[in-house]
Amino acid sequence: MGALKSLKEEYAIIDANFLQFCASHGIFSVEDFLVHDVYTLVASTEQLSNSYRLKQGINQLLSIIETCHQPWMNGLMLLEDRKQNKRCLSTGCESFDMLLRGGLHEGHVTELVGPSSSGKTQVCFQAASNVAMKLGSVVFIDSGNSFSPTRIQQIVAYISGSAENKINGILQQAMRNIDCHAVFDIYALLNVLHQLKLKLKSQTGYQVRLIIVDSISSLIAPILGGSNAQGHALMVSVGYLLKELADRHNIALVVTNHMVGGEGGTLKPALGESWKNVPHVRLQLSQDHARNIYAVQILRHPYMASGRNANFMIP
Amino acid sequence: MVTDLLYNPGPNTIHGISRLRGGGKIESQREPVRSRRAREMEVLRLPLSASQKGRLISAGYTSIASLSSISPSQLALELKISETEVLEILKTASDGSRLESTGSSRTIVHGAQSAWDMLQEEETLVRITTSCADLDYILGGGISCKEVTEIGGVPGIGKTQLGIQLAVNVQIPSDYGGLGGKAVYIDTEGSFMVERALQIAEACSDDMVEYSCLYRKGSQACEVKRQPKDFLENIFYFRVCSYTEQIALINYLEKFITEHKDVKVVIIDSVTFHFRQDFDDMALRTRLLSGMALKLMKLARNFGVAVVLLNQVTTKYSDGSFHLALALGDSWSHASTNRIILHWNGNERYAYIDKSPSLRSASAPYSVTAKGIRNSASNNKRIKHT
Repeated sequence: MGALKSLKEEYAIIDANFLQFCASHGIFSVEDFLVHDVYTLVASTEQLSNSYRLKQGINQLLSIIETCHQPWMNGLMLLEDRKQNKRCLSTGCESFDMLLRGGLHEGHVTELVGPSSSGKTQVCFQAASNVAMKLGSVVFIDSGNSFSPTRIQQIVAYISGSAENKINGILQQAMRNIDCHAVFDIYALLNVLHQLKLKLKSQTGYQVRLIIVDSISSLIAPILGGSNAQGHALMVSVGYLLKELADRHNIALVVTNHMVGGEGGTLKPALGESWKNVPHVRLQLSQDHARNIYAVQILRHPYMASGRNANFMIP
Repeated sequence: MVTDLLYNPGPNTIHGISRLRGGGKIESQREPVRSRRAREMEVLRLPLSASQKGRLISAGYTSIASLSSISPSQLALELKISETEVLEILKTASDGSRLESTGSSRTIVHGAQSAWDMLQEEETLVRITTSCADLDYILGGGISCKEVTEIGGVPGIGKTQLGIQLAVNVQIPSDYGGLGGKAVYIDTEGSFMVERALQIAEACSDDMVEYSCLYRKGSQACEVKRQPKDFLENIFYFRVCSYTEQIALINYLEKFITEHKDVKVVIIDSVTFHFRQDFDDMALRTRLLSGMALKLMKLARNFGVAVVLLNQVTTKYSDGSFHLALALGDSWSHASTNRIILHWNGNERYAYIDKSPSLRSASAPYSVTAKGIRNSASNNKRIKHT
């Protein structure tokens, strides 16, 4: 909510005296006030001459804060919201959609995890092409220089299945629906996500259906670990921003993550335990090089059994 | 001043905040909630220095919106810093809110590009030929600019040869279908042989003469033969002796390429060498490597240069057998956009596309001749010495 000063004009009770009193307790913003113990604050007004007015100010602040939380919903309303606003986006790959009972869920953060060249980026391309052709806008955040418009062109042509000369109109429209950002550090990612959030909030007519971050792990890996606690804080902050975007604006979010060697040489998803609870759905991809078949397995899903798997092909 | 801390959230930053929080009393109350609050603090997400963030937070400016309406002089007074520094902070902050004023533009967020525009752009992009037609064919015309390509293989397969060939080929003028660029060659192992580079350059310049004889007979008279020595002049060679030097050089490259805009390829031979020794802390190695990978990606994208990383191989044990894999581990395998593996198949050298977002995996034979990398022909097949 920002600085207390910004409330000064709207509310007469929050005057210079009150601000000074708050500043003496290290309170400069509404957030500061929230984490401060109200009772000690009230008690400390007693020694001051204008204690009544200060207490009024505190009450005023508390009532402002009360109006700030999100409205409550009951289970029925939540279910209604699910049915109406949170649809499934088809990935354009039949067995993949079957496994996920419809595809990528709006409001969910879906993580694709797998070793190098296991098809993560290809699944992203396919989902992006399919959504851009049939449903709406896609934002592709690329941290690995792997976004290939030529490949998107091929996939769009494959999905539409029409002849070369007819496809041009569909192709142009689909490709204009995909916006690509190249980001090479976590601040740039946060900046893009933040701008998206503001944009979605301020423009009611605009709708993004799918956001892809390929890959999240290459942005976080350079800052995670060691004695650097800020890297961890940034990672958590990205995670929450992704979840917020997905939920508030009914967007399907896809992130890709790589794998690292765990205990006993088995591979496990990177980024550790605190990232683990960010994605709602975690899917592991692998490639059978000999047969050129890709496999997907559910590692985590809010309401489906983990361990189910499917094979799919990449056109 | 702002930018030097931009990509370096070093370990000192978190201490920077707590030190600048002011009195100890306040600090002890804030300490436990800081991690939880990190996600609510928008200013923490701005690429500002730790001390600037600290000052903003302790003065109550936690959201970007709170910075939008304030006058610079007032802010300078409150933060007790110079007005020029405040202007820099406000400029950084306004990048975040700029989009509201440019709401009519088509792209959603500042700096985005639609896939359609990228496709148009990509179609005009010239690739760097490898001088081997078969290899060029599977690569869709050669090594792609704007991308990071990793090339790995066993010792003696021709990695350095390919590296030198690319450093020469990038200079083929645009009249001949090339890029007319320059090359940066970063040598970590000391394997760059200038005599060999001269040989390859001579062969390349001969080929160019032949080309102009064949296809442009009319203008042949006014063509001045490009001297092989000119090729050598346009290869910027850096010798790197430790991993710290390597990181420092890669940090410096951005500045170097800004000054030498015609650099079109950066070759690192090999990216692995210094990282395969003297490392106890493997977590540190992973961090350094992934940071380096991002910087190289950024370089490739922003300046439209091709980044070519040569890598060594290692044996890896899985499924009960040993097989060859590229060095530096699983996290590094994500560092490159494309990956090409060079290997022996009988007596012939083969290149195999192991990873690429846009190309099919395929393999093609090639050979290393006196002239450099060339098509593999059955009559000049080299005998592999064992």
